Amino acid sequence: MPVNLRCAALIAFAVLALVHAEAKTAIAEEASGTPLPIAIDSSPAGLDPHIVTAFNSVAIVSGTIYEGLTAIDNDLQVVPSLAESWSISSDKLSYTFKLRSGVTFHDGTPMTAEDVVSSLRRVQSKEIASPLASRLIAVSEVDALDPLNVELKLKEPSAPLLAALAGIAIVPRSMEANKDALQKSPIGTGPFRFDAWQPNGFILLSRNPHYREPGRPKLAGLKFNIVPEAATRAVGLESGQYALLPQLDAATALELKGKPGISLSQTLELSNIVIGLNAARAPFNDARVREAINYALDRQAIIDAALFGAGVPAGPLSPVLKAWALPVSDFPCYHHDPQKARALLQQAGFAQKTKLVLRVLASRQDIKDIAQIVQAELAEVGIDVELANEETGQFVQNWRNGNFDLFASANAGGADPDEFLYRAFHSGGSTNVFKYSDGDVDRDLDEARRLSDPAGRKAIYDRLQMKLACLGPIAAIAYGTLFSAARADLKGYEVMPNRSLASLREASFSP
Amino acid sequence: MLKHLLLPRLLDLVIVAFGVSVIAFLMIRMIPGDAVALMLGANSEVTPQALAELRNRIGLDQPLLSQYLRWASAALHGDLGTSLWTGRPVVEEILANIWPTLELTFLALVIGAGLAVPLGCLMARRRGRGADMALRVVTVLGLTMPSFWLGIVLILLASRLLPGFASLGYVPFVENPFGNLARMTLPALALALPILAGLSRLIRSAMLNSLGQDYIRTARAKGAPERVILYKHALRNALIPFVTHLGITAGYLLGGAIVVEEVFAIPGLGRLILGGVSERNYPLVQATILMVTIGFVVLNFAIDVIYGLIDPRLRH
Amino acid sequence: MKLFDDRVLTFAAFLVAAEIALALCAPAIAPYDPLAQSIAARLKGPSAAHLLGTDQLGRDVLARILFGMRATLLDCVLAVGFALGVGGAIGIGAAFFRSWFERLAMRIMDVIFAFPVMLLAIGVIAMLGPRASSATLAIAIIYTPIFARLLRGPALVVCEAEYVTAARAIGASGWAIVIRHLLPNLASVILVQTSLALSSAILVEASLSFLGLGAQPPMPSLGLMLAEGRNFLMLSPWSAVFAGSAILLIAFGFNLLGDALRDKLDPRLAKA
Repeated sequence: MPVNLRCAALIAFAVLALVHAEAKTAIAEEASGTPLPIAIDSSPAGLDPHIVTAFNSVAIVSGTIYEGLTAIDNDLQVVPSLAESWSISSDKLSYTFKLRSGVTFHDGTPMTAEDVVSSLRRVQSKEIASPLASRLIAVSEVDALDPLNVELKLKEPSAPLLAALAGIAIVPRSMEANKDALQKSPIGTGPFRFDAWQPNGFILLSRNPHYREPGRPKLAGLKFNIVPEAATRAVGLESGQYALLPQLDAATALELKGKPGISLSQTLELSNIVIGLNAARAPFNDARVREAINYALDRQAIIDAALFGAGVPAGPLSPVLKAWALPVSDFPCYHHDPQKARALLQQAGFAQKTKLVLRVLASRQDIKDIAQIVQAELAEVGIDVELANEETGQFVQNWRNGNFDLFASANAGGADPDEFLYRAFHSGGSTNVFKYSDGDVDRDLDEARRLSDPAGRKAIYDRLQMKLACLGPIAAIAYGTLFSAARADLKGYEVMPNRSLASLREASFSP
Repeated sequence: MLKHLLLPRLLDLVIVAFGVSVIAFLMIRMIPGDAVALMLGANSEVTPQALAELRNRIGLDQPLLSQYLRWASAALHGDLGTSLWTGRPVVEEILANIWPTLELTFLALVIGAGLAVPLGCLMARRRGRGADMALRVVTVLGLTMPSFWLGIVLILLASRLLPGFASLGYVPFVENPFGNLARMTLPALALALPILAGLSRLIRSAMLNSLGQDYIRTARAKGAPERVILYKHALRNALIPFVTHLGITAGYLLGGAIVVEEVFAIPGLGRLILGGVSERNYPLVQATILMVTIGFVVLNFAIDVIYGLIDPRLRH
Repeated sequence: MKLFDDRVLTFAAFLVAAEIALALCAPAIAPYDPLAQSIAARLKGPSAAHLLGTDQLGRDVLARILFGMRATLLDCVLAVGFALGVGGAIGIGAAFFRSWFERLAMRIMDVIFAFPVMLLAIGVIAMLGPRASSATLAIAIIYTPIFARLLRGPALVVCEAEYVTAARAIGASGWAIVIRHLLPNLASVILVQTSLALSSAILVEASLSFLGLGAQPPMPSLGLMLAEGRNFLMLSPWSAVFAGSAILLIAFGFNLLGDALRDKLDPRLAKA
């Protein structure tokens, strides 16, 4: 037997040596003409831009495979994309978009006004049941004036329309009635085209040689590797197998900071971490109890603990929206004051004995940690909270059905304040799961939508923020810092507050 | 005789397949949270009408029984449906994910079972002495090491000690044999360790057990060499529990594979099922469970037959 | 035959007794409240104030491990006990009665057994809601067919042995045969498998907690601590390392105890 063992050891060693050599050459190859290896945490739920709206799907397709009439730049301003310019009628009820000429889809067909019309109709169609339909709720008619001009007619003025159009991909007209094709093999006009999808393995995009801007993109392609474990992604980046991790949690970012050959970039998120309060149920149907929650929370302590200090206390709007967001120092209830919280609870006649359930979106460690701290802080003012950590499917179901006392999760924001505020706080808003209903708030939200004068809108949104921050159904906790790590020689990539990877169009490897 | 042995077992196989299909079908539907709500995501803007329409589109508004009958009859005709999310045929998705798992489990079994036999013999032979004690402690440690933990530790260690070795993901063997092995070595090791530990202990126990039997004593008395006694008589007897345990191990392997596949980013069946459950991808989960469990049942059927061959006492 | 002249057995018995004692006394000896947070002192290594360091919310790792051991032990002993009782009865019954009972019982076991372990657990827990008691039930269900199958094979061999058929022929009652012949002959298998099952049940519990399906935060649980700690592995590995070691130690103790007991008590084993 000793002989056998020695033999086995020799063979094992030989295999290890071979394998080691092979692994090294594989990595050396990747530096040259192969696609940029990116590691993301989960598979997309499909690639049809009008059907899937989850973060991870949108990040893969939006700005890479697909483009909209407009786009959102790094400063969250609306800029031209497939439309090179537009004009708006004086009554704000008609928008005319002039399309870029010479744009082709990945299948070689030219992109014309007809495709734009059918794409917008596709989003509005009942057959497709697109969740983006409500963004076009104001649009009554879409017409192709000629091959390069499209007119949108509106029922009423809609200030957020241009920002909303950035999220609506233009697809070939042949797709208008086709529900399934784009989910598995997407066709757009973007800088990268779809090549292959190995389920749970990777999604491969290659350079679109006919992209509308000559010389772009510079990369040979993008390979989205699906790597669920954070530690594995970090090791893969360090060992050179992955060149870009688009999203990192704060703990991993801290670990990778200062490692040779890795560059970290960061920006403030557009989305925030929130504690939702059910305004339709006791005790949170009482505005004083909602206000008390805000006083009970020590936001800076939560950020220091759960986000390792990487984030800022949140108001209803992200500070990234510089033109709109009020500083949190304007909100009195953002001052940690347990005494005041107890007083408010007493006024409201809050019964100490009530046991409330806080539903936690358990897919993120930072949210789980925040929930535990919130639990401790609420206990201090006499609110007894039990945590229920729920897997995404369960959480979404309870959330959508308004089946919660409190919840902890992340809330996506938009480039225009209307996008988030209307859907969350208007009594008819599509994500107003709190059943929050306030006549003044509804009137303000409706009016701000119709106004086109920025100063007038700003005044209304200021008023709304003041009210919603302390008395609304959301106790906003923090806007986290969004970290992104890349191999140091990847140039031109910028991390964006809305998690878009559109800047990969400009990226390249510099020697 | 073979017919006598096979026919009732084949009938059993059909019964088990039916039971599994019913449970698989019901289980995924009893988990709170449905596919449609998930598909639309937490942050999108959805009206109740949109939800109802989407539900209707994928047939979720039908009564459970008719949903099951429709699925079962299609499955009997070889149509396992299409993935709710990607719209691809489920069979295609399973085939795309099955090879990494098969390879991983095969490697783990070869490593685990291959080393367990000599290790178990060694422990049995040296019973009560230093080597046995040390190996017992080591195997127990191996057995009690959580595989996700082991996987992460292996990745971290490899990245420190052999930079560049920690190759992640998967490439098919036919495309790049060395790249394939480079990526499969660590996960197979992580998966094999508990198998190795468990099986070697089993062999040790079983061999000690048979070494106490009369026929071994007879063989000894007749002056048979110790090697022959150990490997021919004792080991052969130890094979019965060993083979039974292999069948159970196959069940462990898929469970272990889920976690190891997560850690090493291998696109295998474990992740397909896990992802399918969390996405409430009903057709995909049903079909994958059905195929995996039937494969498993067939394997154990084969083991039962082998069992009968090894131990003639069980033949009738 | 003295029970404690075997050093491995003595060591294992001592280890298990110590672990059980620690778990039982957790409320008395834990240096801190396992839920008390102290953000300023988080992710620290071992020190005089916190012997095993602190976790990501500044909670004392030692206190959490003691309470976690208590919870883990209780859950796993309950689960495996249930599985042994139910599964063992089914397996031995199948071997003893044969005919339709064996067919029916073993097919039901096959259906459960054929399900991938994790998936079965995920399904059971998802239906009942994620909490420690659901995980216990899930583990019990997972191990039931395993005991049934593991005991049926050896039980069959015993039932077919000449002395048993002889006992049956002279009209011995079923209970007498089970108690006089089957159980003593199966004792070694039961001992080994229970020890294996207990230690692997601890691992299943840890894996379930890893996937967020076992005990829920903020309750201390070893698997959960390990799972949470892995997110901060490179910043401060202490919580994960100690929780992992605690899991290892418990599983190790039970495993070794069963192994050594078996070595000692089984009359059919060759004497060293």
